[in-house]
Amino acid sequence: MAMAMTALRREGRRALLSAPSQSAAMAARSPAISQPEIAPLGARSISTQIVRNRMKSVKNIQKITKAMKMVAASKLRAVQTRTENSRGLWQPFTALLGDAPSVDVKKNVIVAITSDKGLCGGINSTSVKVSKALQKMTSGPEKESKYVILGEKGKVQLIRDSRKHIEMTVSELQKNPINYTQVAVLADDILKNVEYDAIRVIFNKFQSVISFRPTLVTILSPEVMEKESESGGKVGDLDSYEIEGGETKSEILQNLTEFQFSCVMYNAVLENACSELGARMSAMDSSSRNAGEMLDRLTLTYNRTRQASITTELTEIISGASALEG
Amino acid sequence: MSATTAAVPFWRAAGMTYIGYSNVCAALVRNCLKEPYKSEVAAREKVHFSLSKWSDEKQEKPTVRSDNE
Repeated sequence: MAMAMTALRREGRRALLSAPSQSAAMAARSPAISQPEIAPLGARSISTQIVRNRMKSVKNIQKITKAMKMVAASKLRAVQTRTENSRGLWQPFTALLGDAPSVDVKKNVIVAITSDKGLCGGINSTSVKVSKALQKMTSGPEKESKYVILGEKGKVQLIRDSRKHIEMTVSELQKNPINYTQVAVLADDILKNVEYDAIRVIFNKFQSVISFRPTLVTILSPEVMEKESESGGKVGDLDSYEIEGGETKSEILQNLTEFQFSCVMYNAVLENACSELGARMSAMDSSSRNAGEMLDRLTLTYNRTRQASITTELTEIISGASALEG
Repeated sequence: MSATTAAVPFWRAAGMTYIGYSNVCAALVRNCLKEPYKSEVAAREKVHFSLSKWSDEKQEKPTVRSDNE
């Protein structure tokens, strides 16, 4: 499939190069037809070659988009089950520790989750837009906010104007099916390499095949968490639990927040992968539909031109015959 | 419980996070399985991603993390 796509792209570029030399728009789009062939000297009727070639290429594109849709649909089913199961991992944390999206701290780290591959609608732009807005909100004279970007597409978009805020980028996460171990190793790496008071994870939460919500999850550092718990709030409830072993509260909070981060990351990566597949499915569905419509229009033009030339030829023969008789 | 309590400062002192610690423990448990299940579960341990840090607005050479704890 990849080969076919590159072939398509190459074809497109070639057509672009030859465009200025050709006057007709239709001719400009179709490659491999040079000027003389459009209307050979002394030709009696219009050549339908160009339209035929264009129909063939549209048909090929439609085949590719249809195949991509099928692939996305079959992958989606497996990922969706895993995603829905993984929601059970972060829910207890939110119940216990609460979520504090409005917390105001000095060092912010924004983890923007995007996909490695394109052709999946607007989910990557959504992640990037939300991340940028959040970056503006959380950075100030005494505060700073850095990006950790997962996925190639988000990196490409954020490099343009937020280059100086990027701390770390990660890609190739989806080579194997996503599993917890992998995300945990990644979360470990992130925790070790960035300094943070609050980590904000941004991803597209999967709602249905056609609906994704940009979602923000905030994870506080143990120190900030402790401060929050002293000032009341949800974390204060932790005191009402009886805890086995001899750890102090700050140790427990540190362990909990670290584990919370890896669990949230696992769910976020899965949700985003699921949204990506869903978005790709609907994007490919609409592009196959568009290709079909275009094919219909071209077929109509083609048939009409062919019929016109036949009619012209008939008229010529009949009039010639009647001229002989008369 | 006493074993866990005693272990806490050690892994923390060795520079591990709770995530790293729990991963090592999970790998240990997975290794205890017998054959038909063992290889099935091994698929859940595959790690692959490439990570690159940025400094001075430039991307450093990416490090690929693959199939190791």
